[in-house]
Amino acid sequence: MRSAQPVSGSAFFIFFCQNMFSRIKRYTSWLTLATVLLTGCMEWDYGTIEDFNPDVKPGEVTTPGGSSDMEGWVSGDGLFVVNEGNFQSGTATLSYYDTKSKKVENEVFKRANGFKLGDVAQSMVIRKNIGWVVVNNSHVVFAIDINTFKEVGRITNLPSPRYMHFLSDEKAYITQLWDNRILIVNPKTYSITGEIVCPDMTTDRGSTEQMVQYGKYLFVNCWSYQRRILKIDTETDKVVGELEVGIQPSSLVVDKNGKLWTATDGGYEGSIFGYEAPSLYRIDAETFTIEKQFTFDLDDSLTELQTNSAGDKLYWINGDVWCMGIDDKRPPLRPFLKSRDTKYYGLTINPLNDEVYVADAIDYEQQGIIYRYSPSGELVDQFYVGIIPGGFCWR
Amino acid sequence: MLLLLPVAVEAQENAPRHNINIREVTITGHRPMKEIGVQKTQFDSVVLKENIALSMADVLTFNSSIFVKSYGRATLSTVAFRGTSPSHTQVTWNDMRINSPMLGMTDFSMIPSYFIDDASLLHGTSSVNETGGGLGGLVKLGTRPAQNEGFGVQYIQGIGSFHTYDEFLRLTYGNDHWQTSTRVVYSSSKNDFKYRNRDKKENIYDDEMNIIGSYYPTERNKHASFKDFHLLQEVYYNTGKGDRFGLNAWYIGSNRELPMLTTDYLDDMFFENRQREQTLRSVLSWDHLRRTWKSGLKLGYIHTWMAYDNKEDRGNGDLSATRSRSCIDTFFAKAEGEFTPSEKWLFSGNVTMHYHDASNYQYWETVSSSGESTMVQPGERYDKGRLELSGAVSAKWRPIERFGMSLVLREEVYGGDWTPLIPAFFVDGVISKRGNVVAKASISRNFRFPTLNDLYFLPGGNVNLKKESGWSYDAGVSFEVGRNGSYALKGSANWFDSHIDDWIIWLPTVKGFFSPRNLKKVHAYGVETSLDLNILLSPEWQLEVGSTFSWTPSINEGDKFSAGDRSVGKQLPYVPEYSSTVSGRLAWRNWSLGYKWCYYSRRYTMTSNENTLTGYLPPYYMNNLSLEKVLKFKWADLSLKGAVNNLFDEEYLSVLSRPMPGINFEFFIGITPKWGKKHK
Repeated sequence: MRSAQPVSGSAFFIFFCQNMFSRIKRYTSWLTLATVLLTGCMEWDYGTIEDFNPDVKPGEVTTPGGSSDMEGWVSGDGLFVVNEGNFQSGTATLSYYDTKSKKVENEVFKRANGFKLGDVAQSMVIRKNIGWVVVNNSHVVFAIDINTFKEVGRITNLPSPRYMHFLSDEKAYITQLWDNRILIVNPKTYSITGEIVCPDMTTDRGSTEQMVQYGKYLFVNCWSYQRRILKIDTETDKVVGELEVGIQPSSLVVDKNGKLWTATDGGYEGSIFGYEAPSLYRIDAETFTIEKQFTFDLDDSLTELQTNSAGDKLYWINGDVWCMGIDDKRPPLRPFLKSRDTKYYGLTINPLNDEVYVADAIDYEQQGIIYRYSPSGELVDQFYVGIIPGGFCWR
Repeated sequence: MLLLLPVAVEAQENAPRHNINIREVTITGHRPMKEIGVQKTQFDSVVLKENIALSMADVLTFNSSIFVKSYGRATLSTVAFRGTSPSHTQVTWNDMRINSPMLGMTDFSMIPSYFIDDASLLHGTSSVNETGGGLGGLVKLGTRPAQNEGFGVQYIQGIGSFHTYDEFLRLTYGNDHWQTSTRVVYSSSKNDFKYRNRDKKENIYDDEMNIIGSYYPTERNKHASFKDFHLLQEVYYNTGKGDRFGLNAWYIGSNRELPMLTTDYLDDMFFENRQREQTLRSVLSWDHLRRTWKSGLKLGYIHTWMAYDNKEDRGNGDLSATRSRSCIDTFFAKAEGEFTPSEKWLFSGNVTMHYHDASNYQYWETVSSSGESTMVQPGERYDKGRLELSGAVSAKWRPIERFGMSLVLREEVYGGDWTPLIPAFFVDGVISKRGNVVAKASISRNFRFPTLNDLYFLPGGNVNLKKESGWSYDAGVSFEVGRNGSYALKGSANWFDSHIDDWIIWLPTVKGFFSPRNLKKVHAYGVETSLDLNILLSPEWQLEVGSTFSWTPSINEGDKFSAGDRSVGKQLPYVPEYSSTVSGRLAWRNWSLGYKWCYYSRRYTMTSNENTLTGYLPPYYMNNLSLEKVLKFKWADLSLKGAVNNLFDEEYLSVLSRPMPGINFEFFIGITPKWGKKHK
């Protein structure tokens, strides 16, 4: 019934409340029941399993020309991007980019397998259509079919894996952070078969990183709280030499002349291990001696050293992306790609056409972006991947 | 289903309070001068003592609009108001700030609700009345005299799922002048609950190591045990002539393992992560009360020692250990005064001092198979002190009964860094006396200084950080209606809007460590509502229902990091846009049935709010049920209580990769002897 007199807002409110109260009292039992029945209904998507490349049988060799010898082979047709994810959040992911169609598929590991890749994916290497993805803080290396992205096996119980290097189908090395050992594994049985103890390296402050092979010798840079390159005889699995460079060599490559190149990050201010201007070193693999040293400014930091397909150019990240010829007398004055407030984090060069792919981690808490440049520095494409894209692996 | 529940017995602080007899329903409608325009949530003792084994994190989860982020059962739990971060929530205990000066936040899983007699939330601008730095708000915790006559004893024992055992003891003594209380809590648990791990799959292999099947394993929350000991000693002396003295001392000894991530494939037999803490908090207080004025003085001291140890068996006979230690000594003093020259005016002022001396260092150790321990390397270390002063004056004026306003001016100095003057202005007015309908509004500026870790942590500390700063605006309306002895209904709806500049975030560096920077500009706004009903259904039946609902967009309005940045205009990670709680209690004679429910909407894990498989945490509802019964004997009150947590066995996560328990049970039995008291 409508009131004949104007009702103020507050009076109406009280009238409303009192009416509601009588109704509430009447229906209290229903309310109680309703409360009890507020059952959970979690909207939890565990991800349905997707079939990528269903026409390709698992493990099928897809080399051009039907060659079964995949060793050292890359097609340049596809690029795996290893996204670290945020530490202790389990948000590491794997992306796959087709260079021809410019199509990217993200989270392919989870989509193909129905479970997460893990925490802090570090690197990936391919051998005979099997991709080996090293997931550092999950202490695991997953082996996946590179066509279907489905898991074919795993090596577990690795203290802190960083990079994997194949010596044969049945033998590979896995380097580790904050450990003084390089682990020897049998990829066929997914088992740890031995270890190489690094000299003068404590268990906790030890570090071995990237590996390059020159003949029967393997060279590895020792990064965190270290300043050495180690030389390992792959037949005896022994460290047969070590070479001191600057503080924290972050990456290692070999050029067309069999010269090793390493770049240091110089440590940081206040570090108990020291702080110095970083350097770029050329090392003769044969004699294992330093041939050249280019020193940078104290606040510089060199990471992600790469070579082009011919092995006659070097690329690295130092805020910007830099490029120099291996015979240049000094590093260039201007960068190859200037930073545009970008946080360049990962870098790779297409081994077929020398296109440059550089990852911007943006704020490290969202999907990073990959910029694809021509060898002359023209932007060709850009695409989003996962959180903190740091590692690349060419198919 | 109810019949299947373990019937229980109430376990509460003391007999009168724990007694679940029907309480008379009363209406207050009183507006203290001190709370002109203030947005405050006050928790009553029923909420605080509803389940004796709860931490304050649990209490806030089910009874407030603030967001509790839990890393697991008995693991780090932080709270955040209105879409801000945990370090924007100031926390005081008996007026002494207990936020970690190194981290800025407070672990609410370390605060047993059994030790808290007085808890309230001051939302947004309202926190400026009490302290600076509360860009989100203030959680105000305190103790108070039990007001018992003679000796009193209460002992409660609890047993729960996952080998959880709790012991609670309170001894009290009181007379006209003295009140003493000793409270002890000891909780231990293996905490090895089972859960279906959806982040992993176990493979089934044939003889040639080919995968022929896989499944999500059911795993245990491995190595997550905890042992927490708390002791709270209180002594109060009241002269009866306007002077009150108090001493509060709270000791915490905690030993907790840190559980594995759901994505970890390491054999758990070969490592251990453990966190230990020893903390002493103490406050000495003096209150001097006169008819028109009062003054108070508080002196306090906090000592916190924290240790984190990671041990790994490397399989070569050596056990390698990474050890991190931090030690903080805090000296606290507060002087305050109030003057009420007439019923229309209240003037107040206070000065607070905290001095922190904090050190943090790491070292690495190797323990050989023979047990010999050798320090291998000392790590980075910092040892810094900081004096933090905060002072405020306020004038509160209520010229007519229906209208009041308040002005607060605060100034803070941390180290040698002064804030500009922090103003806060509050106004309220009674729209309708009949329904106690009150409208409130407030505006304030605020600042938060970087923490000691922000400035000095090695590696990464950044001494060039600026203070975070913000403006906040609040407006709302509340009402309270009812009939004495019959029902009470009260509710509120508040709108808030705040802008925070120079938000400090830690970002990775190219050198492999994190470093803080002033970057984000955040616009947090929204609505908080609450509705509480207390109704006497019949002389023997009483129903109490409390509910909250919050809408809290918290939007990044900073500049783009780079051209590819898609975070601008998006909700901050781990901040739910919607959340809600409902808690109810139905009492009949000495029985009480409790129900708690909470809801959090989707929380994004990326700043760009991607709806990818790893980009968000799905919404969840949580339901807890309890049943309690008090048995009254001439010689004692016995209380029995049973509780079912996660009633519908939800699989849920509060933080990525941190498992949470499914359905679990607790049972408590308590005794409160009536020594030396007249038997009723």
